[in-house]
Amino acid sequence: MATQPQTKTNELITPAFMRKLDQLAVVSRKIFAGKMRGERLTKRRGESAEFADYRSYVVGDDLRFLDWNIYARLDQLFLKLFLQEEDLHVSILLDCSKSMNWGEPNKWLYSRRIAAAIAYIGIINFDRVSIYSYADGIQSELTGVRGRRWTAKVMDALGAMPSNGVSNFALAGKQFAMRHPQPGIVLVLSDFFEKGGYEDGLHFLLGRNYDIHALHVLSPEEIEPTLMGDLRLTDVEDDDVAEITVGRALINRYKKNLQAYGQELKAYCTRRGISYLFTNTEVPFDQIVLNYFRQRGLIR
Amino acid sequence: MSFLSAGSIAIAAGLTIPPLIAMYFLKLKRSVRVVPSTFLWKRSVEDLQVNSPFQRLRSSLLLLLQLLILLAAAVALGKPMIKAVTKHSGTVILLIDNSASMNVVEADGRTRLSIALEQAKLCVDNLDDDARAMVIEFSDRASVVSSFDTDKHALKRKIDTIKRTQSASSLEEAMSLAEAYTQNIIIGSAEAGSDNAPESTAPKATVFLFTDGRIERADTVALQKFETERIRMTLIGERGDNVGIIAMDARRSYERPEMLEVAATVRNFGTQPLTFDATLYIDGQNVDVQSIELASGVRDANVAGSASALAPEGSTRVIAFDEIEFAGSGVVEVSLRVDDALNVDDRAWTVIAAPRHVRILLVGEGNLFLESAIATLDLDVVTMSGEEYENAEDDELTDGARSIFDVVIFDRHDTDRLPQGNYMFWGSVPNIDGVSSGRTIDNEIIFNWDETHPVLRHVGIETLYVYEWLRLTVPPEAKRLIDGESSAVLAYLTRDASQFLICAFPLIIQNASGESMMNSYWVTSVDFVVFIQNMVQYLSSNVTTTGTKSVRPGQPVTLPVPKKHGAMRIHRPNGESDPVHPVGGQSIHYPRTRFVGPYRLEPGVPGRDVFTVNLFNATESNVAPADTLTLGAETVNANAGSVEANQPAWPYFLLATLALMLLEWVVYNRRVFV
Repeated sequence: MATQPQTKTNELITPAFMRKLDQLAVVSRKIFAGKMRGERLTKRRGESAEFADYRSYVVGDDLRFLDWNIYARLDQLFLKLFLQEEDLHVSILLDCSKSMNWGEPNKWLYSRRIAAAIAYIGIINFDRVSIYSYADGIQSELTGVRGRRWTAKVMDALGAMPSNGVSNFALAGKQFAMRHPQPGIVLVLSDFFEKGGYEDGLHFLLGRNYDIHALHVLSPEEIEPTLMGDLRLTDVEDDDVAEITVGRALINRYKKNLQAYGQELKAYCTRRGISYLFTNTEVPFDQIVLNYFRQRGLIR
Repeated sequence: MSFLSAGSIAIAAGLTIPPLIAMYFLKLKRSVRVVPSTFLWKRSVEDLQVNSPFQRLRSSLLLLLQLLILLAAAVALGKPMIKAVTKHSGTVILLIDNSASMNVVEADGRTRLSIALEQAKLCVDNLDDDARAMVIEFSDRASVVSSFDTDKHALKRKIDTIKRTQSASSLEEAMSLAEAYTQNIIIGSAEAGSDNAPESTAPKATVFLFTDGRIERADTVALQKFETERIRMTLIGERGDNVGIIAMDARRSYERPEMLEVAATVRNFGTQPLTFDATLYIDGQNVDVQSIELASGVRDANVAGSASALAPEGSTRVIAFDEIEFAGSGVVEVSLRVDDALNVDDRAWTVIAAPRHVRILLVGEGNLFLESAIATLDLDVVTMSGEEYENAEDDELTDGARSIFDVVIFDRHDTDRLPQGNYMFWGSVPNIDGVSSGRTIDNEIIFNWDETHPVLRHVGIETLYVYEWLRLTVPPEAKRLIDGESSAVLAYLTRDASQFLICAFPLIIQNASGESMMNSYWVTSVDFVVFIQNMVQYLSSNVTTTGTKSVRPGQPVTLPVPKKHGAMRIHRPNGESDPVHPVGGQSIHYPRTRFVGPYRLEPGVPGRDVFTVNLFNATESNVAPADTLTLGAETVNANAGSVEANQPAWPYFLLATLALMLLEWVVYNRRVFV
């Protein structure tokens, strides 16, 4: 079992990588109404420079938005409407169960690096970034951070985040949905080894109409197991024991099952408009962020 | 399979197998590994268990293999021996019985001959590559089917060419043929430049005998070269239920020649008593039917005298068909309606001639005894002196090449005027090749005679004392009916289409003073009259000039031919016919009498144109296989030295142990099974 890594801030993402991220922004496939005025256009009419529509003047309207040119031509008062620019909620749900702290390269470190990158992109673009770690329910949270000055705090929080407990995504999803009513982007980072099933958890998130992205993180040891012989396997999370004799046939069967499990999860997500991405921790995390997330339209 | 050391198996198995099983009852020590989640592993295990119906068995495959290893090793310790087929090497001679009894259809529907051929081919398959084998078939004669050959396919092809016969079986010729061929090999190998004696370099021949063990006069076979222990007899056949006609005769009533009497001797050779119908046919017409009841033909082993060679009482019966009115000539057939093993002996045929007065020519200087005896019979008799006979015109004596008399009797008159006919010589000889008379023999006794010959039937020879007779020289093919110490007394001979009965003693001799006197008191007895009647009947009634109305299958036949004839054919019982050509214009010689039934020559001499072939052989009819065969003075047991031999089997078990260990190692390393 891998030891608990004491990750430093600069270990999660390097300044050079940060500079690459500076040019990126988190994009939502859905347009949400934010709480505060921000840097994103919303459906709400507001005060940005982006023209949206006209409407007839009614008493009490701000005279500053009257279109005087039209008044001159038509002798009627029309009010110019502009799109409101609002902030975007970017939430990262990070599976911190014991099973995540596994593999070489380590899944926990890998997930936190991706979380850090996405969080950083959100922060510098004045999005409201919240980071939740969950195992058997929400374990820690850092909510509503916005602006570059929060960078160090976010990184420190991620670096110090412990991996512990038994995964219970259903509970975590429920708690998250209750605490976080605002729509926005939700990025779930997990190995999805859920004995209770992932469906309930995703179901709670879908209920809030979030723009959900699921990143399925597995280590090479899980994808290509190197186990052989008569073994007594112990589950790192719940100490569940499986006595097996591993041979080529069983390995093949395991691989088939793993593949089927991934396909099942992907199909579940796709049917419900959830963006699903599977990754092996051997794939460099910057590649995931810079290439795959861009392709999936999470960032641009 | 047998074990030389069976105890070792129990000890070895007892010491090793329980600990092995005990070890498997102990919990398997598994190494502990921590994994992020067991749930995919558990699901995989469940999948595999569902997919593998023999999962439980597979999981204990290693135990199973280890148990097998221990068992194989333990059995190997027990020194097992197996009866394995040994390859035959060297010189091999296959003798295949092809006699009438091999026509028996066994329970599986195959004939004994086809079983024997199969066995012979198996034996060929079993030969070493360098072994050479020859194949001889034998019935009453033997013939080489294949001379020595190493090509197994060729040998088997030759074996397949063997066709069934209905002849008797005789091993003597086959054995001498085999010995002759083996002799050639020995000479051949000696000529090849060996300094050793031929006998020591020559391979000892192994003789494989495929037979049902029913071989006539096997005890007269003298083995000169073969050792009895190298003769392997493979017994063919199982059935023993058979009823057969072993003799048959048809004759006309003496007083009423138009009335026919037919007698057939039937014998039950099976173990069960039988009741069946016997039908009499004349020229294919059903004339009479009788129901016959026969007792079991096998003696109860518990009854005293069971070792006797005689048939048990009631198992043999003479079926007599009396008072059959038939004045013509024809073929008489007796047929048994019985479902038994052998069909060849269920029918018998004989030829009956139309009644007529027999014409006798008596040539001599007057003989009261002879004339009186002939006079008692209802015959047409012509008497001539020797001089008259020699000077007679041809027309008086012959019709073409053949004598016009049925029997010509010469009393003390040698002659060479012998047209085709039947002759009886008293105290004189015919001037033909191989027959001559020498000095007079006296004071000798008669010590042997053939009482079964029709001429001597019901004739008492025990009381025959002859004062003097001529030393008779007869050719080897002549039958000696009565033998004295240094010369034959009565001999029967056939030559061309003629029959000769030569009696070495005259009935009347002259003493030193020139007076005629009886040579034997026999001439005054009833026996003499019976003899004359037998003689006349025998010589005049025989269809074939070889002396019998019926011949055995395979026996050649000589038939007289008519004066004027065109192309002649012999019609066989199966409907086929063979063209025949007369030998020297007087007779035809026909050897293809392989199957029983009536044969007809067309055109032939009326009354002498039909002959019959019958099995009439108790040895062949007794189809129950005999598992011992007495060859000369030695006894050969069936299957005693057959193809089986003991071979140690422990190396195979040891090999199996090694193979199993290898397999176990592979399985252990692959760990294919969960």
